[in-house]
Amino acid sequence: MRIAHSTRLKLRSIFQGRKVESELDEELQFHLENKIAEGVGAGLSEKAARQAAMRAMDGLEQQKERVRDTRGIHWLTDFTDDVRYAIRSLHRTIGLTAFVVLTLAVGIGMVSATFSMLDALIFRPYPVPHPGSVLTLVSTTHDNSYDDFSYREYLDLRDKTTSYDGVIAYADMQAVGFSANPAATPRVRGGMLVSGNFFQVLGVEPRIGRSFRADEDQVPGRDAVVVLGPDFWRHEFAGDPSVLGRKVRLNGVDFTVIGIAPDSFPGLQIFGHPDFYMPMAMVRSFSTNPQKNFLEDRDDREVNVKARLKPGVTLQQARNELAVLAKNFESEYPQLNRARGAAVHSSFEMRTRADDVNWKFGVIFVILALSVLLVACTNVAGLLLSRARSRTREIAVRLAIGAGRFRIIRLLLTESLILALLGGLGGIVIGYGIVQWFHSYQSVILMSDLPVAIPFQMDVRALLASLALALLSALLCGLAPALQSTRADLVNGLKSADVDVPGRKRLWGRNVLVVAQVAASLMLLTAAFLMVRGFQHGVLESTNFPKDHLLLASFDPRLIQYNPSQTKQFYKLLTERVRSAPGVQDATLTQNIPLGFDDYEFEPLAFVPENFQMPRDRQNFSVLTDTVDEAYFRTMQLPILHGRVFRESDTSETPRVAIVNEQFAKHYWPNADAVGKRIRLDSADGTPVEIVGVTQTLKYQATVETPMDFLYLPLAQHPVTRMTLTLRSAGDPLQSLGPLKDVVRSLDPNLPMLLTRTYEDYYINKAVKGPSVAINLVGAMGVVGMLLAVAGLYGLVAYNVSRRTREIGIRMAIGANRSDVLRLMMGKGLILVGIGIALGLGMGFAVERLMNAMLFDSGGVDVLAYATVVPAMLLITVLATYLPARKATQIAPTQALRYE
Amino acid sequence: MSKPTDLVQGTLDLLLLKILALEPLHGWAISLRLRAISGDVLQVSEGSLYPALHKLEQEGWITAEWKQTENNRRAKFYSLTRMGRQQLESEAANWHRLSTAISQIVQLAEGQTSEA
Repeated sequence: MRIAHSTRLKLRSIFQGRKVESELDEELQFHLENKIAEGVGAGLSEKAARQAAMRAMDGLEQQKERVRDTRGIHWLTDFTDDVRYAIRSLHRTIGLTAFVVLTLAVGIGMVSATFSMLDALIFRPYPVPHPGSVLTLVSTTHDNSYDDFSYREYLDLRDKTTSYDGVIAYADMQAVGFSANPAATPRVRGGMLVSGNFFQVLGVEPRIGRSFRADEDQVPGRDAVVVLGPDFWRHEFAGDPSVLGRKVRLNGVDFTVIGIAPDSFPGLQIFGHPDFYMPMAMVRSFSTNPQKNFLEDRDDREVNVKARLKPGVTLQQARNELAVLAKNFESEYPQLNRARGAAVHSSFEMRTRADDVNWKFGVIFVILALSVLLVACTNVAGLLLSRARSRTREIAVRLAIGAGRFRIIRLLLTESLILALLGGLGGIVIGYGIVQWFHSYQSVILMSDLPVAIPFQMDVRALLASLALALLSALLCGLAPALQSTRADLVNGLKSADVDVPGRKRLWGRNVLVVAQVAASLMLLTAAFLMVRGFQHGVLESTNFPKDHLLLASFDPRLIQYNPSQTKQFYKLLTERVRSAPGVQDATLTQNIPLGFDDYEFEPLAFVPENFQMPRDRQNFSVLTDTVDEAYFRTMQLPILHGRVFRESDTSETPRVAIVNEQFAKHYWPNADAVGKRIRLDSADGTPVEIVGVTQTLKYQATVETPMDFLYLPLAQHPVTRMTLTLRSAGDPLQSLGPLKDVVRSLDPNLPMLLTRTYEDYYINKAVKGPSVAINLVGAMGVVGMLLAVAGLYGLVAYNVSRRTREIGIRMAIGANRSDVLRLMMGKGLILVGIGIALGLGMGFAVERLMNAMLFDSGGVDVLAYATVVPAMLLITVLATYLPARKATQIAPTQALRYE
Repeated sequence: MSKPTDLVQGTLDLLLLKILALEPLHGWAISLRLRAISGDVLQVSEGSLYPALHKLEQEGWITAEWKQTENNRRAKFYSLTRMGRQQLESEAANWHRLSTAISQIVQLAEGQTSEA
C-alpha cells in the first residue's frame, strides 16, 4: 500500500515532471506572497518585505531542490541529464566517436558471430520441453567411448532401468528413396528410424495428426506409418494438411502419413534435420548393416539411445544403475560384450566429446574473437584517456563548483556506455553479416544429399551475449579514463587546458594498453598463420594422388529392395559396362572415398595381430576399414609399397586377405615387413586374414586428422550394399556422366545415383574451401587486431608528440638535432613494442599449444610462423611509431615555443 | 538573523502530523499554526516546511489536494491519511516515553545518579 502510494507519486514526477514542477512553484509562490503580505501589513516596504520573506524561507530555489530530493527519483533525472550531456559532447567529437563505435562494433561483432557458432554447437538446448533432463546413453569400449547400442540392448535398457521416464532409440539419419506416389522416380531424402515412444518421451506434440503409438513398434514390418518433418512437409507438400492419411513410397514400400512434426522440433541433431521419421520395426526396408539382423543381433550396434531422467533421480544414480546393467550384459553375453561398458552423458558432455573437432574450432574462434575485442577495448580506452585528458579543464571546473568525484565518474561512464551500446548495435549487425557469410558456405562445407544445415543463428541468446559484452566493454574502456581524469590536480587543471597527474605514473595506463594491443594482435596473427599452415600441412602431405579425371557416383540398391545376390550382380554389371563406356579408362567400387563422405562412415573392424603381445586389459584392437574392389589402387593410382593389390582370384572361397597402410604396418610390425603377416578377426582365435600389401597413408576422414591406421578389405570377401563408383576418364570427367547414366538406366531405371560429382570438385570443397572459411575468419581477426594495434600505437606516439611540442621546441632551440628528437619520441614506443612482442610470443606459443592439442596435433613449434609474423609485426609497429615521431622533428622551434 | 533552536530529529514530522490531524491546511496556514502554537520557542524555517511536507506525502502519511482558499486563491491543502493517523499515534507515544524519560533524568538531584 505504502509502496504503491510512493510509486504512484514517483511515476507522476517522472512522467508529468513539468506539471509537478509548476505545482511546486505555485505552492511556494503562494507561501511567499502571503509572507510578503504579512510583512507589508507589519509596515515594511514591498521590497523589504520580499527580502525578509526570501530570507525566512532560505531561498526559493534551494527549497525546491530539497523538495525534489524527497521524490527519490534523482538517479533517473541525473541519468537523463548525463545522457543528454554525453550525447552532446560525443557529437562534438563526431570523428572520434565514429571511430570508437566502429572499433567496438568490429570487436563485438566478431565475438557474437563466433559465440552464435559455439552456442549452436554446445549450449543450445534440445528443442523439446525440459531439455535438461534428456540424457544420452552410450556403449563404451577401449577404442570408442561413444559407441552405439544394438536394438536388443536398447530393449533391455528400456525395460530394466528405473531412473528414467522413458528411453528412446533412433538410428542415424539415412538416405531414403522417396516418391510421393508409386509412379514417380524415387528421389533421395533423409529419413530416421525411431522407437515408437520417440515423440512421446521427448514431449513433442505433432503439429497436426498424431505421433507413433506404442504398439506401432511391436511387430516387425506391420505398421508402415511415417511422421513428416515440418520443413519437408512445407517444401514437398506445400504445407497441405490433407497429406494426412495419404500414402508415400519409401524405398519402394508404401507408408501412410500419420502426422507432421511441429516447427519447434527440427530434430535432435545439431546439423541433420530429418525429412521424416519411421518406426524402428520397419527397419527391414531401410539400410543397416547387411551382415547383421538389426532387430535380433545383440552386436549390431546401430542405435543411439537417449532417456529422460525422472524428477528427483540424480545423474549419479542413473550412472550407477547403467554401470550395473553393463556388467550384467558382460556376464550374460561374454562373447559379444567383453570389455564393453556403458556411460550416461548430458547433452553438454556429448557435444564436447573429445573426438569431435567442430566444437573445438568453435572454442578457438571464440577465444581469438575475445582477444580482438580486448584489443578493440584497449584501443578505445586509450582514445577515451586522451580525450579525458584534453577535457581536464572542463572536469576541474565541474569539481571546483562542487560536483562529487563519483558524479563525474558517472558522467564519464555514461559516455562510454552510450559508445558501447552503439558499438553493440553495430556489433550485432557485423555479427549477423558474418553468420550470413557462414551460411553462404553451407553447400560447400556440408556436401550431402541429406537435409543438413549450418545451425548458426543470431538468436536471442547470441544477442543477449552481445549486449552483455557491450556493457562489459563500456566498463573496461570507460573506468580507467574516468578514474584518472577525476584525480587531476584542481589548481593546475583550472590553469591549463591539458594537464597530467604529476609523476611517472602519468602514462602508465596507456603504456599498458599499447603493450596489450601489440601482444594480443601478435598472438592473433600467429594463430591465423598457424591455422593456414595446419590445413596446408594436413592437406598437402597425404592426399597427393592425382585427383583430376575422377568422377564419383554412389549407389544404394537397398533403396529399391535388392537382395544380396541382386546387389552383387548389379555391381558386377555396372563396373563391367562402365569400363567399356566411351571415354572411361577405368572404374572401381569403394565403400567410401579418401576424405570420405560424411554420410558414409568407414567401418571399424576388430582384430588381433598374430603373435602379438596384447596388453593385458585388451581383447582386440580396432581399425577403420574401407571395402574396395580389385581395380581400386589401379584406378586411384595409389602406390602399393610392398606386396600386391587385390586380385580377382581373391574370392569368398579363398583365404581372406587385406591391404594395410604404412602407418598400420609400422604400428604393429615396426621392424619387419607386414606383408605375409596375419591378423585374426575379433579375437585371437578368429578368422585369419593375411596381409598381402602395404600402401601409402592418406587422410581418410578429415584434412586435420593425425596419421591413422587403416585397412582395406576386398569386396569379393566382404560384400557391402552401399558403394561409390569412381571412374577415371580420359578427358573431362563430367563428359563421362552421360554414358554413366545410360549404363545405370539400362541396369535399373529406378535406382537413384547419389552424390554425383567429380573428385576434384569434392576435394576442393572438402579440403580447400571448407578450411578456408576457418582460415579467412581467423585471418580477418588477425588483421583487424593488428590494424587496431597499429592505430593505438600511432595514436600514442602522435599524442605524445603533440603534447610535448613545446618541450621539443626548447630542446631544438638549445641545440638538439633531429635524430635526438626522433630517438626521444620513438624510444618509448619501441620499448613498448618490444615488451608487447615478447608477451605476444609467449601468448602465441600458448595458442599454438592449444591448437595443436585440439586440432592439428602437429607437435613441435612452427618456426616459420614466428619467423614470418614477428618481423612483420616489428616492421609495422616501428613504422607506426616512426611516422608521428618524424613530425616532431619537422617542427620549427620558433613555432613550437609559441605553441600552447 | 538568529537561528532557531534546531528541532530534535523527527519532531517536525510529529508536529506537522499533529497539526494536520486537527484539520486539512495549506502550507502557509501550517506555518502560521506552528508559530501560534509554539510561540517563539520552536522556530521552523519556513523553507524547510515544504521538503518536510513532501517527504510525509511520499511516505503516504498525508495527502495533498488543490482547493480554493477563503480568499478564492488556489492552494495545496494537506490532510492526514489513515496511515498518517497510525503514524501520529505511534510517534506521539514514542515522544511521550522519550520526554518522560528525559525529564526524569533532568530532575534528578546531583549525587543521585548512581542510584537511579
